[in-house]
Amino acid sequence: MNTKTRGPRVAALKKFAGDYSIILITLAMVLLATIAQGKTFFSLQNFMNILRNHAVIGIIAFGMAFVIISGNIDLSVGAQLVAVGAVVISFTNATGNVALGIVLAIVTSLALSGLTGLIVTKGRVPSFIVTLGMQYIYRAFCMYFMSGGGFYGQSAEYKMISNTALFGKIPMPVIYFFVMFLLYYWISRHTKLGRHIYAVGSNEKASRLSGINTDWIKIASFLLLGIAIAVAAVTESSRMGSINSTSSGNAYELNAIAMVVVGGVAMEGGKGTLIGVLFGVLILGIINNMITLLGVNVYLINAFKGLIIILAVLLQRKERER
Amino acid sequence: MSDFALQMEHIVKSYDNVVVLNNVDFCVKEGEIHALLGENGAGKTTLMNILGGVTPMDRGNIVLFGAPEKIASPAESQAKGVAFIHQELNVVNDLMVYENLFLNYELRKKFGRLNVKEMCRQTEAIFDRMHVSIPPRAMMRDLETSYKQIVEIAKSLMQNARLIIMDEPTTSLSPNEISNVFSIMRGLTREQHVTVIFISHKLSEVVEFCDSYTVLRNGEKVASGSILLENGAKIEQSDIARMMVGRDVMGVQVYEPHEIGDVVLEANNVNVDSRVDGVCLTLRKGEILGITGLLGDGKSEFARAIFGDLKKTGVVRLNGRPVNIRRPSQGKRKGIGYLPENRKENAIIKDLSVQQNISIVTLDQCCVGPELIHARERKLAETYRDRLNIKVTNLANKITSLSGGNQQKVVLSKWLSAHPLVMMLSNPTQGVDVGAKNEIYELIMDLAKHGVGIIITSGEAQEVIRLCDRVLVMYHGKICGELKRENNELTEENIMILSTGGTLN
Repeated sequence: MNTKTRGPRVAALKKFAGDYSIILITLAMVLLATIAQGKTFFSLQNFMNILRNHAVIGIIAFGMAFVIISGNIDLSVGAQLVAVGAVVISFTNATGNVALGIVLAIVTSLALSGLTGLIVTKGRVPSFIVTLGMQYIYRAFCMYFMSGGGFYGQSAEYKMISNTALFGKIPMPVIYFFVMFLLYYWISRHTKLGRHIYAVGSNEKASRLSGINTDWIKIASFLLLGIAIAVAAVTESSRMGSINSTSSGNAYELNAIAMVVVGGVAMEGGKGTLIGVLFGVLILGIINNMITLLGVNVYLINAFKGLIIILAVLLQRKERER
Repeated sequence: MSDFALQMEHIVKSYDNVVVLNNVDFCVKEGEIHALLGENGAGKTTLMNILGGVTPMDRGNIVLFGAPEKIASPAESQAKGVAFIHQELNVVNDLMVYENLFLNYELRKKFGRLNVKEMCRQTEAIFDRMHVSIPPRAMMRDLETSYKQIVEIAKSLMQNARLIIMDEPTTSLSPNEISNVFSIMRGLTREQHVTVIFISHKLSEVVEFCDSYTVLRNGEKVASGSILLENGAKIEQSDIARMMVGRDVMGVQVYEPHEIGDVVLEANNVNVDSRVDGVCLTLRKGEILGITGLLGDGKSEFARAIFGDLKKTGVVRLNGRPVNIRRPSQGKRKGIGYLPENRKENAIIKDLSVQQNISIVTLDQCCVGPELIHARERKLAETYRDRLNIKVTNLANKITSLSGGNQQKVVLSKWLSAHPLVMMLSNPTQGVDVGAKNEIYELIMDLAKHGVGIIITSGEAQEVIRLCDRVLVMYHGKICGELKRENNELTEENIMILSTGGTLN
């Protein structure tokens, strides 16, 4: 009787653990951090800190997820964020029109991402190469036009975008983060575009022969990332009140990719979920927070991050093979 | 001393309380080519995986070359002289022939330098034994598929294999290449006392080239014996097919007379670089038009060009209006459906579920505005699961968990749901077992009755003969002949003559 009743239950538990291993990892980390630091870690104030500090890269990670699922990659997101931030700050400084500035940010970012997508699909150049080149170009132009320094926001209204809090408790960047999550989750699960992105990433040839315009799907993935970068750029430049051609957006691409892969998206495309990516963002956020609270030597911080990234992906690979 | 190379006795294997092999006996004599037959899911692969050390058995005995053996791992199986040649070729195209043969077994000189000379010499020696001449330094990429297969066989001989298992080795070969591979295998069994177990769905090959057979059905052995009967005649293909399926299938008449309407598709002087050369054809509503010929004759390139997957010149008319189709997405919108050859590579989206693979072409039907309604998608998938009798326990399962025949039905249903004017199918029953094959034929016939114009491009003469109203034979990119059912011209002989460049008198 034991084997009959226990068998399926254990199997179900294992399946649950396999499907939601990422959530279990997150919970384990929360537990660990709480044991180590008690109330310093486990408080609403600290959770809001973690979320606010990772909202910008997290938003980018949601967009990056689509690009990676479609079988590509984008290394230019950090530099593109600076370029878009510079455009919106100089525009609002000049005109004082914040709403139009935000629209301009989105349009600029869509144009840049669209260009990347066009070169990748029509030019048949690997996205790794295209976006590597784009990264240098964006960064160089920003440094040239900003003389190696930064642009400072003069509109008080613009700074309000990120520096207020809902009910006095939830910082606006956290709101943007969850709104973007819900929107992109919906696209990934409940639209034709989302499904086609998975299909193209899984088997491009079969997708094409199923009548899917695969080039357009890949460009659309870049455009979704473009929107995310625009939202991230506005959030970041408003929060800081400035954007800097050398110090802003550094290594954002790598952090975003780390969140995506820790969240269970396969680099070869076709696999992964936006919920996973959400938890990937949380895991990296908690790691950064723990390291800071524990007072780990600054020079060693990245070693811990690297270790966790590799471990998380290793664990998921094992799950998948079972 | 027994003259059996292999005796597997009372083999039992079950997965999660499902019995896959039930007390199966399987004996192979030394030096013969033994066909292991059965539908997908009959247990052939499991049986061979037990022999290959991939899967452990629950109960049973294995006697290999007269000695009882326990085979716990693939390495052990290999050490005992068993080689497994899989359906997908295991060669590295960017290496030379001898490098492939010695992959992971490289001969070295002092200081780890490669002994290229000796490797090439041994490569030549082994090809001599097989009576083939392949230059050791030829690039693998440049070899024809049959020669790649021969290199794989040579590789197993190199590792002293005495029992070679070949899993559907001929699916990607042309008839000429198939007889080439078999004559080499025959030489090996006679001269080197190698024994071959041959897994295939192509019964014509089994009857032509094998010595004996064993048939499995639903995990049990239902028959075994010699291909050559006591009266000197060979066993009939239809008899084997009946044993495999448990009912009469080969004799089943598939073709039914049906109404043929107006011209739906007209192709005028279609060229695809040098592969399709000035092809003109017309297709009527409800007509089943076969295009056949040898490998590389341009038939599937023609279909892909019409669908928009290959660049072409020439004029194509649909319902009398010229259409300019440059992408598959345009082909689909104009009402053309295309089931490509090589399902795994061209048709299956491996990370998506069965349901998602069924709906991939007609996702629009499941959307309200931009939103995809999962309930509608499920209903669509259920409709086609029931209509095509797709065997799947849960539509949310991965498509890769289905058998070949069921996968092909999924691919077919994604196009059926689009209700195309013209449906083109390339090798529609490639890698599909006998039972599912007939079901697919019936579906195609049913489509024709509903007025869909159908083009079947296939290298299997029997397939076009059984299904088509009219057959065009291609040779070197050109159409070189037309055969009509109404004139009783659809025979294997006629097709063979035309496809090898001959003319009918």
